[in-house]
Amino acid sequence: MKRIHFLAIAIFSLIFAACGDSNSTSTEQHEHFEVEGWRLYSAEWDTLYSVYRGKEDSKLPGLKVNANCMSAHIHVKFLDENKKEIAGPNDDEHSLGWDVGDSKILDIHFEGGWGFHLKGLKKGETTLILKVKHHDHADAKTPEIKVVVDKALDADKCPFQEDEDDPSTSSGTEHEHEGGNHNHEHDHE
Amino acid sequence: MSMKAEITITSTIMNSTLIRAAMGSLLLGGFLHSFAQEFIQDLGYSTVVAEQSSETILDGLREDEVLKAQKLDRKISTTIAETIKNEPDIAIRSMGPAAARPVIKGLSGSHVTLTEDGSFCGDMSATSPDHAVASEVLTAHKLRIVRGPQILSHSFATAGGVIQVEHNDIPFEIAQPQGAPTQSAAVSNIQIHGYITDYAESGQPGFATVVGVNGNIHGLSLKGELSARNMGDMQTPNGTLKNTEIKNKSIAVGAAYSFERFHLGASFRTFNSNYGIPGGFIGGHPNGVDIELSKRDLTLRGLYLPAQKSSDTLSVTFRLNQYHHTEYETKEYVGAEFAVNQENVRIEKFIAQSGPFFGIHFGGEFDIRSVEMGGYVFTPPTNSYTASLFSVASLNGWRDGLEITLSARLGGAFFRPQESIVADKDAIEDRNFALWAIAAEFSQRVAPGKFLTLNVFRTTRAPTIEELYNQGPHLAAYTYERGNHKLDAESGYGAELEFRDYGEIINWRAAVHSTWFLNYLAPRATGDTNWSQILPIYQVSGDDALLMGASASVETVAETGFYAQAGASYVCGFYQNENWSDMPQIPPFKFHGEIAYLWTHVRTGINTEFALAQNRLDRYEERTPGYATFGASLEFHWSLTLANYSIILRGDNLFNADVRNHLSRLKSVMPEKGRNVSILAKAEF
Repeated sequence: MKRIHFLAIAIFSLIFAACGDSNSTSTEQHEHFEVEGWRLYSAEWDTLYSVYRGKEDSKLPGLKVNANCMSAHIHVKFLDENKKEIAGPNDDEHSLGWDVGDSKILDIHFEGGWGFHLKGLKKGETTLILKVKHHDHADAKTPEIKVVVDKALDADKCPFQEDEDDPSTSSGTEHEHEGGNHNHEHDHE
Repeated sequence: MSMKAEITITSTIMNSTLIRAAMGSLLLGGFLHSFAQEFIQDLGYSTVVAEQSSETILDGLREDEVLKAQKLDRKISTTIAETIKNEPDIAIRSMGPAAARPVIKGLSGSHVTLTEDGSFCGDMSATSPDHAVASEVLTAHKLRIVRGPQILSHSFATAGGVIQVEHNDIPFEIAQPQGAPTQSAAVSNIQIHGYITDYAESGQPGFATVVGVNGNIHGLSLKGELSARNMGDMQTPNGTLKNTEIKNKSIAVGAAYSFERFHLGASFRTFNSNYGIPGGFIGGHPNGVDIELSKRDLTLRGLYLPAQKSSDTLSVTFRLNQYHHTEYETKEYVGAEFAVNQENVRIEKFIAQSGPFFGIHFGGEFDIRSVEMGGYVFTPPTNSYTASLFSVASLNGWRDGLEITLSARLGGAFFRPQESIVADKDAIEDRNFALWAIAAEFSQRVAPGKFLTLNVFRTTRAPTIEELYNQGPHLAAYTYERGNHKLDAESGYGAELEFRDYGEIINWRAAVHSTWFLNYLAPRATGDTNWSQILPIYQVSGDDALLMGASASVETVAETGFYAQAGASYVCGFYQNENWSDMPQIPPFKFHGEIAYLWTHVRTGINTEFALAQNRLDRYEERTPGYATFGASLEFHWSLTLANYSIILRGDNLFNADVRNHLSRLKSVMPEKGRNVSILAKAEF
């Protein structure tokens, strides 16, 4: 009978020990960069596209590029709850990301910071969703932005000539760049 | 019931039920069956004489409705919610097949408490539609929907209910398979009982299996059980709903031992689940979300049986629960993470009879819970503490055939949120809630085999930490959720009137219920959008509301030959405002019926289920169309060489109907499971 008592105590002890490990989260909570709208500017700081609380400004020209060509630099700015323009976060945790609807029509060339180039691949229409990436996750995103890729031009006739030596240029349909702390801020009012 | 009560009924079929009613309380996981009170039954005259009953007749009748043995096997499905979906007043809140949770009388979330082996089921399924119930349905030996005043033994929310899952992890009693010849070993000091169950289906192609062994060696009882489930994406009439796979594993071990008048037991159960939440549609995550959860429960239980009256037990149960939940947006990236540590002590005294009262149980429950969050969860880490005292007692003798059950639960809930970068500092506020709920049930036998029951109650519940403090997007649920740290506790007053008739050919019951809620807490679509994430904003608010409903069920009593069964449930809810607008997430009218033929070892039947369209909608809710489905089943049950075997073949939704569940977040994207053929094979020895 003593053996049974010993066995019983041993079993209970084992069961108790089995639940001894700690249980806590392995990731920290993250604060969000909250915006109410987006505004995209051309290299000359002409407004190309603007959306505020889901409503796009239809009077603006929108995003266009010719097939075979790269657009000029497009600046990204944000709008807060008062529709006041604010810059993107200037830290290592946030970066620009995007999804292209049809990667056969459009590509994105990223130069770091809060700006990018459109690269037309084939004539047609597609969509672009821009995101504020925070680690692996989007803190903010645009609605689907229509992008028109016009007819193909010869490379030497493209309005903007791609700088092939730019080491920061990268591309992809789903951008996963982290630590994009390149500041491409331009003075403008 | 007095020391000696005589109950005369007209149906011999009632005998087994009333015998059960006359037996001891079932409140301690069936352990008290061994203290069955003396009873005499006269089958010829359908008379039961019960002595010292510790349970009302009504509770005994309710025990007949518990899903167990063949009745449970017949309904086994992917989840607990799917398995009990055709019980009266039950609906399913879901977001894919894994994240399905029962809804009772139109009430979900923390209105519905789940327990495993009598103690809390530690998971986060009540807090969000994408969170699964952390319990493998195939390992359940019984599923009981607790109704009436007994709810207050476990919860303040009497308007909702409690769903008890019994795994019998602490093997106080080693069950013998019914009908199996007694093993010769049973008369020695060693007993072994084992079971293996396999389940497979085509609607979500895959399988589930459970293997378990119970043994008793010189008074030391042991249990070991393994289960696994591996099911693929759900097949719907419109194609495959991707990212809906489920992979579950569970391990349970338990031991029980007796020292004279003390019985001690312990168990340890782990449950791991990987499941998907679909995506790729407007409002959803592009690739869906993969969720990994793990749960570990350590349970210690002690029973003391007084020498002078061994039925009057004192039990102490301690459960230590660790729950971890991670939501992955991609394979590497964590979208949300939760770590919950919870300890619960439950002390309960049972007294079979004292003065005019019988079936008395009272006790206390104390609970400490800490919740940590990681990733993109916008609720601050919070510790919460709850303490409550409860009591349930029955009496009779005032009027012939009248039994009264009274119950009460008093306590408090205390929330201590911690500072967090994700929370508004003004919202980090300690909150304390005093809670009380009472219920009184009057059950009158109005004629032989006929019972009229009125249950009146006050219901309450404290807000959850998410309802108080959450402030941000919930990507898996595709919502932006706003809590309110100023919320008061929910409360309400209600009543349920039920009639039961146990006849020679059929048994039937019908019930109507109504609850007037003061400050009904629910997340409601505001119509606003969080423009940063482009997610609809849900705000938790407390509103006065009226919830009403009815249910009815009927079944034939024959144990062989023709059998028919049908049931229907309806509920509607209104907010008190100028228009008495409809409450959200209220299930529509639903009917199910079955016709079967029963031989000794074979059962075959056809069944149907239909729901009407839900046109009663809250703001920004979408109408859900009705549906009708048809199914068939074929069962074989037999005993051979010291073992029982069952094979159950089932075909559900045979005509591949487009079924939309009004309480599913995916209803506008894809229908529910289409044509589904399943098989369950079980052996017990």
